[in-house]
Amino acid sequence: MRGFRAAWLAATLGAAGAVACVEQATAPGSCPTFCPSGSITVVDTVLRTSITRDSAFRGYVLAHQAGAMVATEAPGVDSRAMLLTSTLISPDTTTFLLLTSDSVKLTLIIIRRDTSAHNLMLNLYQLPDTIDSTTTFADVAGAFSGAPLRTVDIDALLAKPGGIDSTTGDSIATDTTTHRLILKVKFDSLQLPYVAADSGKLGFGIRVGATTPASVSFSTREDPTSGGSTVTWFMKVDSIKGSDTTLVRERYPRGTRFDTYVFDPPVAPLDSTLAVGGAPSARSILHVTLPRGIRDSSQIIRGTLLLVPAVPARGAPVDSFVLEAHTVLADFGAKSPLVLDATRTDTTMIRVGATDTVRIEVTNLLQFWSADTTRPAVILLRSQEEGAHPSEVRFYPSKAAAYRPSLRVTYAPRFPFGVP
Amino acid sequence: MMRRLERWKVGKMEGAVLLLSILPSFPLSAQDSQFGIRGLGTPGRFETVRARTTGGALGPFDALSPLSEASLADLPQLTATAMGGTSYRTADVAGGGGATTSFRSTRFPVMGLAGPVLGRLVLAGGFTTYLDRTWDVRIRDSMSLRGGMQPYTDELTSDGGVTNLRLAAALRVSGRLAIGAAVHVLSGSTRETATRTFDDTTYHQVRQNDEVRYDGVGVSGSALLDVLPTLRLAAFARSDNRLRARLGDVVTAQTDLPTTLGGGLRWAPSPSVRLAGAVTRRSWADAGAGAFNTVSWSAGLEVGAGFAPLRVGARGGQLPFGAGTTAPTELGFAFGTGRAFSQGRALLDLGLEHLRRTGGGLSERVWTFLVGFTVRP
Repeated sequence: MRGFRAAWLAATLGAAGAVACVEQATAPGSCPTFCPSGSITVVDTVLRTSITRDSAFRGYVLAHQAGAMVATEAPGVDSRAMLLTSTLISPDTTTFLLLTSDSVKLTLIIIRRDTSAHNLMLNLYQLPDTIDSTTTFADVAGAFSGAPLRTVDIDALLAKPGGIDSTTGDSIATDTTTHRLILKVKFDSLQLPYVAADSGKLGFGIRVGATTPASVSFSTREDPTSGGSTVTWFMKVDSIKGSDTTLVRERYPRGTRFDTYVFDPPVAPLDSTLAVGGAPSARSILHVTLPRGIRDSSQIIRGTLLLVPAVPARGAPVDSFVLEAHTVLADFGAKSPLVLDATRTDTTMIRVGATDTVRIEVTNLLQFWSADTTRPAVILLRSQEEGAHPSEVRFYPSKAAAYRPSLRVTYAPRFPFGVP
Repeated sequence: MMRRLERWKVGKMEGAVLLLSILPSFPLSAQDSQFGIRGLGTPGRFETVRARTTGGALGPFDALSPLSEASLADLPQLTATAMGGTSYRTADVAGGGGATTSFRSTRFPVMGLAGPVLGRLVLAGGFTTYLDRTWDVRIRDSMSLRGGMQPYTDELTSDGGVTNLRLAAALRVSGRLAIGAAVHVLSGSTRETATRTFDDTTYHQVRQNDEVRYDGVGVSGSALLDVLPTLRLAAFARSDNRLRARLGDVVTAQTDLPTTLGGGLRWAPSPSVRLAGAVTRRSWADAGAGAFNTVSWSAGLEVGAGFAPLRVGARGGQLPFGAGTTAPTELGFAFGTGRAFSQGRALLDLGLEHLRRTGGGLSERVWTFLVGFTVRP
């Protein structure tokens, strides 16, 4: 009897264990015979009239407000970077009176350069300390026409051991984190003498040259990563320490108080086209009207904004730029605040000189509007590095019927649930 | 023996009650089949473990099986029952390169409470799975999109089913005749999802889901007639009106449900031996295209009326939904046993069932472990 009970217990526990197993019910479909009658439908359509009320505005980011300044030497674009250093005032003019300079080191941070350009040369000029945001290309043309203070061969400097030129005192190094080049250029007291009347303010102009068209971007004081260029004075001061009146050398680092770039030719005035980029930067705003059947009852799985350039994208060939499509928090026209969210931003690369149709994947934006229909269905196009380059693209607006912006939408209508 | 039973008394009784109390926390549904995906679902079996392990032959005569109400008339006291089963299923699709897919599912298809209330009148209520609509299908295909072929994987799932809520009454009219009737409320829901994932992730995933609710009603009646002291005849009929599917407040489908007619014969040559056979016809073709009328048969034997009976049976017939012009067929056998505790107040039934279903190029083999608990407080 004990054996019988034990067998019963084992059978019961075995059955209970079997019942407790996890369900596994995924079947490979043998369609249509043994599949559900309904199926997922996917529709792809081009909405030619869904983009309306489009316009462009300029003046969002000025050249001196950008996070980079660009020096370009390319056919059709001549851009030059400029910077003005802070004043040099001794903290104690009684015991440490600044007498003369020994040397000056200018530190430039190169954000981007054309690595395919050979013999990349940086020509550094001294500019008047009166440069400001209203200074134009023509205003400083004279200062750039003379002989440069220094010329630095970037490629040659990079090729030297440790990136150090012991003859000139220049050096170059790569920041392994940001992959930026940190260039230090040395000027002696003859090249850059200390002028007490100027309080040590220095104006620099940078031009690039190479055997091929070249373009170099420098960090500016608006760049949150590095904070822009710096200058370090090595000064001779009148030092009185007790009875010692020996002249000693002191090191005075200073930042920049202003940096910008000028370029020629200047940007063309806005017209009826949809301009994006340039400096001051231009943005274009497009209002989107999605059919209710798509917005309310379907699931959008891909959306592409199609834009036809009205003219080839302008700028140096090496200055291709990233165009961003944002949406806005509220529709206030040109002053609409952007939704600065990486998941709500779509991008594409604009190739300078190209006239191909530009395609921007805006799936994230379309899904955002479908999920919350109270959001304004507005696409705002801007350059990713606003104001940091003169490159600009212009698209046909909705008024140009044949080439107007359009949306290509791939969506899945509602699945027929509840139908056996 | 009695001493041993006394020793089992408290622990087993409590254990059985505990098991019964946790059963409702699981979904109430029946075994599923790939044959039901295309149609309304997989019909449930209105049988307890006792009836099922005789191939269903004892179903019309088993008081606790919700197939026939008249059999309730012989229930002497308040009784609660529930059953569970785990199925291991393999499916072979013709042309599938010989690949066999395995599935496993656990169901709790029957639960009920019955007892005499007024003299010879017995009332019963309970749940039974009417249609199981739990499945998960994966389809690999491609479509032309934006000038290129885009491969994708679809996954269509349904989780849930339609439950039959039964309120039944039975009366022994005379020593030889018992009759019964029941009202059935069909209710349930399925959580359905449709997902399409493209290989090219530029296309976002399609994922839609909804909850479909079902309702319907039915009535049934049955009678038991003792033709001879050892020979009992059963007849039962049931009519369900229609199954209405709703999404929110919108009716998306309305499907006619079948009329069921059946009968059975039980022969008990001795108090410890019962031989039975049953035939059932259901007019599932009313459900529309792709559905077939079905006839199913069963034959079984139960030996031993004491604390540990042995049961064996076979069943065959047709399935209501399938591909092609003829209904898929089903053939199976089952065996099991039971065990009474606490002087018969708690019953534990165990069984093993094997089914083979074929039709439309699909072949399924199902092994199901069955566990039933019955408590007579």
